[in-house]
Amino acid sequence: MDATPAIRVVDLRKSFGTLEVLKGVSFDVDRGSVVSMIGASGSGKSTLLRCINFLETPSGGEVYIDGEPMGFRTDATGQRRLQPLSEINRMRRDLGMVFQQFNLWPHMTVLGNVIEAPMRVRGMNRKRAAALGEECLARVHLSEKAREYPARLSGGQQQRVAIARALAMQPKAMLFDEPTSSLDPELTDEVLAVMRELAGDGTTMIVVTHEMGFARDASDRVLFLHNGLIEEEGPPEQVFGAPRSERCRQFLSKHLQ
Amino acid sequence: MSDALRQSLDLSLFWEYRQVLLSGLLFNVYVFACSAVTALLVGLAAALLRVNRSWPFRWIGTVHVELFRNAPDYIMVVWVHFVLPLLLGAIIGRRLEFHPFVSAVIALGFVYSGYFAETFRAGIQAIPIGHVEAARACGMGERLILWRIILPQVVRRMLPEAVNQLVSLFKATTIVSLIAVPDLMYNVSMVTATEMRPLPLYTGAALTYFAVIWLAATGVRLLSERWRSKIYA
Repeated sequence: MDATPAIRVVDLRKSFGTLEVLKGVSFDVDRGSVVSMIGASGSGKSTLLRCINFLETPSGGEVYIDGEPMGFRTDATGQRRLQPLSEINRMRRDLGMVFQQFNLWPHMTVLGNVIEAPMRVRGMNRKRAAALGEECLARVHLSEKAREYPARLSGGQQQRVAIARALAMQPKAMLFDEPTSSLDPELTDEVLAVMRELAGDGTTMIVVTHEMGFARDASDRVLFLHNGLIEEEGPPEQVFGAPRSERCRQFLSKHLQ
Repeated sequence: MSDALRQSLDLSLFWEYRQVLLSGLLFNVYVFACSAVTALLVGLAAALLRVNRSWPFRWIGTVHVELFRNAPDYIMVVWVHFVLPLLLGAIIGRRLEFHPFVSAVIALGFVYSGYFAETFRAGIQAIPIGHVEAARACGMGERLILWRIILPQVVRRMLPEAVNQLVSLFKATTIVSLIAVPDLMYNVSMVTATEMRPLPLYTGAALTYFAVIWLAATGVRLLSERWRSKIYA
């Protein structure tokens, strides 16, 4: 089996003005594995996720998707050059992203949201896209809502539609940016259940989350970020059971109460 | 009842000249439609300049909006018809003349583009950035995002305000008679000159304008409310 990781992040850095948010982060995400990123607010988790698909342009470092460099190319003189937007867009298709605020397009039906990118970006015809869309909605258990508008759905349902929308692009990996943080506790469970199913199906996932239960039970690896660096990293049993870093221990003791 | 009042309420004269007057009204609709399309297209372009990331573009957009929003339509119609051809003629070095209809459409189209630009801009800025980021994350390009994600939402948001502006634009078409566009007001003046009975003719014209504008605006509002309510439930 090809051992190229689905996502490889090498020495990733990001500054906003004088504020250095990411100070050189490196990690691999193997195919079919789930990596959870935990850490306090402001530790750089969301920025890291957004740098992977270039919603934020990294200030330094590299991201590889299936071995292919994302966003930058090194030219003959060894200089790093930002790729044209069209090239970045081509690679973004392979990374599904789910946001904290769902970000469904309110003027389209649920199915419309799901099939928009497959049709307009992948060039699929409507019939094929609709069949795929129905399939993705079934995976998030929302087949019966296909013709509704997002405004008529609960937060949990909206987030599941957002997951279906990302799945419809048949991405190589899924990025989740605090997908349950703006949901009431009773709606959080339905979204986490869908995410666990995806993890069980072998979907490659990076999940930025405050849900310690999910990070512990559903991930293959956990990264604890602090001040723009990976402070602790390992299988969940180790990070949750015997963290080496004092800060990680403090963070977990606060969040596991 | 005074004689003057009785005269103004006797619309038989208006009815007698209905064909001439109706053809005038059709001219109003024609001028309205062409200037509305101009105003919407130019207004959208100006709004896109106004929200551009680089300041020279924003500056051009702002100048456009301020210039045309603060120019009285009456003066613009006259200026575009009589002065603009002289200016352009001097630049290209030959005599230039605009058809009154063309002058009317340019003048009203540009004046109202200033208002529409601001309505478009407000609509664009009201779209949460997350909607755009979600589209980018799916690999959609910026033009696709504008046409599929931003503008359909902007149109729905701006409709109530846009209907008000379109009503104002329709009313403003009555001033094109100034430069001899044969619209309803122009034809009323012509008939008045021969019949010497201005009261019923002007009353009839006022009632006609009211009826046409009220019916069209109410219809559009009803239809658009139903359409908008689906997404803002």
